[in-house]
Amino acid sequence: MEIKDLSDKTGEWLRGTGKESDIVISSRIRLARNIAGFPFLSRSNLKQRKEIESLLRKTIVESDITKDISYVNLNNATPVDKLLLVERHLISKEHAEGEGDRGVAFGKSETISLMINEEDHLRVQVIRSGFELKNTWETTDEIDNILGESLNFAFSARFGYLTACPTNVGTGMRVSVMVHLPALGMTKHIEKVFNAVGKLGLVVRGLYGEGTKVSGDLYQISNQFALGKSEKEIISIIESVIPRITSYERMARKALVLESKDQLEDRVWRSYGMLKAARMITSEEILQLLSQVRMGVNIGLIDDIEMQTLNELFVLTLPGHLQKLQGCELDSTQRNIIRASYVRKRLDGL
Amino acid sequence: MKCESCNKKLATVHLTEIVDNEKKERHFCEDCAQNVTNHFPKAPSPSDILTSLINQVSPEIREMSKTTCPVCGLSYLEFRSQGRLGCPMDYNVFKKGLLPLIERMHGSSQHVGKVPANAGVEIIKKNELIQLRKELNEAVEKEDYEKAAELRDKIYELSGNVEDGD
Repeated sequence: MEIKDLSDKTGEWLRGTGKESDIVISSRIRLARNIAGFPFLSRSNLKQRKEIESLLRKTIVESDITKDISYVNLNNATPVDKLLLVERHLISKEHAEGEGDRGVAFGKSETISLMINEEDHLRVQVIRSGFELKNTWETTDEIDNILGESLNFAFSARFGYLTACPTNVGTGMRVSVMVHLPALGMTKHIEKVFNAVGKLGLVVRGLYGEGTKVSGDLYQISNQFALGKSEKEIISIIESVIPRITSYERMARKALVLESKDQLEDRVWRSYGMLKAARMITSEEILQLLSQVRMGVNIGLIDDIEMQTLNELFVLTLPGHLQKLQGCELDSTQRNIIRASYVRKRLDGL
Repeated sequence: MKCESCNKKLATVHLTEIVDNEKKERHFCEDCAQNVTNHFPKAPSPSDILTSLINQVSPEIREMSKTTCPVCGLSYLEFRSQGRLGCPMDYNVFKKGLLPLIERMHGSSQHVGKVPANAGVEIIKKNELIQLRKELNEAVEKEDYEKAAELRDKIYELSGNVEDGD
């Protein structure tokens, strides 16, 4: 599979299936690993970097982790291709912007992604649709075991898996659950969620992880600590928190329907109308519109759009995807026009 | 006034020296002054000043500031300014400085999670013991004495041939 094949379809995690998928978009787990006997990347020279990349690439490609594995060498990928991979959550922003020998291996369904020479030598990521942490962990654990058979990971009995940044040391694990919380945003209750989550040692981040802005009412809830608790304990903390957040969001939606039904309906239908009729839409605006319509589907106002279509549009209308689809670089005005026409086409608009 | 060193030329440089809290006026000609000031302690360099500033902020850095990893060459100060370690060995070399940081970040400094299969029997047992002890504490706190007894037996069985500690 090549990158051009990615632009008009999406990974399985956007299907809109799985538990609580009206609110939980996806469950993601990543592990940070480094190979013993090599310095971390900030202290590796070009030769060592190359050696690490080739050792990991060969091990991954030869292992039977997943069928139809693709490998993209990021060192000679175009800026648009890298942007596309970031938008699909197959690589991180830092990985795209990095330098030197590095790459990413991923399966056809895009559930599994293995980043080589990101901040650590290896980042194993598994992402699934809906609230599915147990399955997600089982797959992650299995991949880690398979790779651990032929690779010697840097590990100490005291500190666990050793990572370039001490915030990841221990399990090397970060669990992130992406949730859609429009009603809590509208009613300004979202701050309360942040505070409560913070007390449990969890953090709320934007759509693309650390330091990114919250848009489209999409939030990622993840653990801050990686040491002192086992992988299963960390997962169970997040597992116990998410249902509270989702039921809080549902309550807020119910309250909105009861107290300001007309305003709410007007908002949802206006957004739907804009998506079907607008001729230019910015990337910021589309996230807001999709968010409103998504909630409209969830509360039963709109019944002629599939959840999968909406979830996919969040990703397919991003700048990298539009440029890949069009086959050339576009400035922001051109993108706004193409974005609007693409959405109209997908939604049988005007 | 004549130079107190050569006693020939006119003293044009006047220095105040403080030794053991006693002030002393000294008078030199320009040539002799040059020789004398060369022996004065040098002014601290900008990096010395910076180090002393950091020292005031965080005592752990003062202790660690001269430590450099013999494997990757990273100094502790470089780590503190960049936030990234250079190699697995740094966790040992900088342990003293890292421990309080790690405690603050994670609320703990002892790994209890997964152990790689090829880590060696001793490490696997040691980490299993740590996990069991943690569970034992929790069982006692919950007053689940049946489980506590079970865990205690397991710990006893395992710890027979494992040396405890760090």
